[in-house]
Amino acid sequence: MARKNKSAYQQAPWRRQLQTIGLSLLPVITIALAVSLYLTISAQAAAAGLEIMEMHYQEEDILRRITNQRTQLAWMTSYSQMNKRAEKMGLEKAPPESFHYLIIPGYQGPSPILLADPPGSGIDRLPVINEYYQQSLWDWIMETLMVRAPRLEGGGQ
Amino acid sequence: MTGHNRLRLTMVGAALSFFCVLIVLQMLHIQNSTQHQELSQWADEKFTYAIEKYYPERGNIYDRWGRLLAGNEDVYEVGVLLQYVTNPTTIATTLAGVNELTYSGIYQIASKPFDPEKSVYSLLADFLPSGVVDILSEIKQEFEIENPFGRDESKPSLRGLVWYPHLKRSYPENSLGSNVIGFYSFRDRQEGIGYYGVEEYYNDILAGSPIDAFMPRNPYMLERLPKVPAGASLVLTIDREIQAMVEKKIDEAIEEYEAESATVIVMDPRSGEILAIATQPRINLNQYWQTQDQFKDRTPFNRAISETYEPGSVFKVLTMAAALDSGTVNEETIFNDPGRFEYGGAVFLNWNRRGEGKQDMQGCLQKSINTCLAWVATEMGSQTFYEYIQAFGIGRPTNIDLGGEKIWPLSLPGDSDWYPVQLATNSFGQGVAITPIQLATAISAVANDGKMMKPHVLKAIIQDGQQYNTTPQVMGVPIQPETARLLNEMLVRSLENESSLGLVPGYRIAGKTGTAEIPVDGVYGTESTNASFVGWGPADDPRFLVYVWLEKPGISPWGSVVAAPLFRDIVMDLVVYLEIPPDDQSNELLAKEG
Repeated sequence: MARKNKSAYQQAPWRRQLQTIGLSLLPVITIALAVSLYLTISAQAAAAGLEIMEMHYQEEDILRRITNQRTQLAWMTSYSQMNKRAEKMGLEKAPPESFHYLIIPGYQGPSPILLADPPGSGIDRLPVINEYYQQSLWDWIMETLMVRAPRLEGGGQ
Repeated sequence: MTGHNRLRLTMVGAALSFFCVLIVLQMLHIQNSTQHQELSQWADEKFTYAIEKYYPERGNIYDRWGRLLAGNEDVYEVGVLLQYVTNPTTIATTLAGVNELTYSGIYQIASKPFDPEKSVYSLLADFLPSGVVDILSEIKQEFEIENPFGRDESKPSLRGLVWYPHLKRSYPENSLGSNVIGFYSFRDRQEGIGYYGVEEYYNDILAGSPIDAFMPRNPYMLERLPKVPAGASLVLTIDREIQAMVEKKIDEAIEEYEAESATVIVMDPRSGEILAIATQPRINLNQYWQTQDQFKDRTPFNRAISETYEPGSVFKVLTMAAALDSGTVNEETIFNDPGRFEYGGAVFLNWNRRGEGKQDMQGCLQKSINTCLAWVATEMGSQTFYEYIQAFGIGRPTNIDLGGEKIWPLSLPGDSDWYPVQLATNSFGQGVAITPIQLATAISAVANDGKMMKPHVLKAIIQDGQQYNTTPQVMGVPIQPETARLLNEMLVRSLENESSLGLVPGYRIAGKTGTAEIPVDGVYGTESTNASFVGWGPADDPRFLVYVWLEKPGISPWGSVVAAPLFRDIVMDLVVYLEIPPDDQSNELLAKEG
């Protein structure tokens, strides 16, 4: 009796075959999906890396050109060049007796040159690229877990 | 599935599994083998990473108002990648004449056979300006359009010709301030170093630190690109306009007075800031390799800090300062000058070989009486005299922040080379050797209420985007403020009384002339002298001190005739640059201000 019951509920063979094939293919498909995901992300990361490298070279190039132009400007405004320009414009040196000195209230004379911020000026020099764009997925997961874990522990208080 | 088939499948599965296990075992074996590390390193170097050296940009040098004195400019290295050269004739024809390159020389280099191990790249020229490279780029592009990839060898092609940019040290002011700035040997791109002046003294902070970086070839591994911070930039105390003015004046003076050389220091006695140091010879720093031709016969690069000489009567300021401060004499002390003074077995005469009769201490300075100052020194005694002289910094370096400072050691009582007669000779500046910077620094104490400030040329350092200003340092206080003020007043009056050529119309100036005889074959005479003048002003609130030294003037040996007028000429322009109104206008303005 028991045997008859078992036979009555047994799956059709084609179904069993499909299940076997499905189960066998499941890990393959999972692996294929993971690999394709990995490859896509890797390709994107590599492309971004190349782009960063390219931008780095561009940055170097721009910095070098800025340096060069600063120096070229100095050449154009050098003492001898400015003297030549002054002469060309018909300017002459003023004789000392022609000077008149005046008191200008509040004027302390020329201020000392400041070519950069003084130390402790309070200007934060934050990195241009956001921290999130420099993290790997793993870093992000770890950081999220580390930050959230203590909060969860202390949640009941 | 039959039992037979199942067995077969099991066998195949086992064989494949065994094969996989073998692969894993072999991998483990390779990873743990003795050659693993070596192989891994070889693979990394060859395929994974490249070690690249990054040189930071050398810091700039500015004058006190931010005008660039030393910077960097874009230049190019031009070479050939031999693997890609298709037409060496075109390369040689195009580049012939550039940077003195010859056709045959270029052709020989460009037609070298490519060898991946030995011969990949050959340098043709370096330090080419961007203008030349722009033209090369245009020509190369035109040829490339007509003859893509240089496939047709009968047509011109610059394929294989490449250029790489880099920075070169550049001095926009050419020779202006060259003795202070020094130079950087930029032609040596790997081992370049700063020589003389600021470039030498601050070489390490200007240069920054080169970085050896592992650069992954795989862009996916590129986590962080190396950031090479530029060297620190320097802001100097030098004022370009004053420097240029003083250089022009000394060039004219050398010609007018037929002097061998001239040196001038302009400093602020209140802070020790050097506003200008001018001397000769000077070089165009952009052609620093000509230094050897310009500085012959051991001529120092900067006489103001590297050449010692006997200063003569300007040294009397220090002797009188010591005598007044120690209480040996006071302003009214009378010295009866017979025209000769005997001490230590030697006889001393005055510069005019005459006696001046009864003189107070101001008269001694005004008439520059050697016998008086020798008497003052002997009254003071050698111990006190040399204590003061050392307190003024004579015999030791000022430690000015310029490369190449030299000194002549001061002979002291007890030294094998010191004789009692030297007490008398030293008192009027003979038998003692100093550099101009030593004397200017020492005498600045008289102009600055007894405080001697450390001479310096660095005003600020700019590093990591922040400017750090320097603080003036007191080197010592050799005399009391009262002594300094008294001597200051004595030197103002003595200049006015003698109607010195160093007087500047409208301004109260304190100063002293000096004429030191230069021994020729061991004999002192007035044929060859060091003529000098030190002065400062405005006397009531000194804002500048100018030290003038003319070496071997031809038209007159006397400091009062050649050095004093040069001082006056310089100060007449200097007061304009420093915006110092004449004394009467200044008093009027102050009265108005209330």
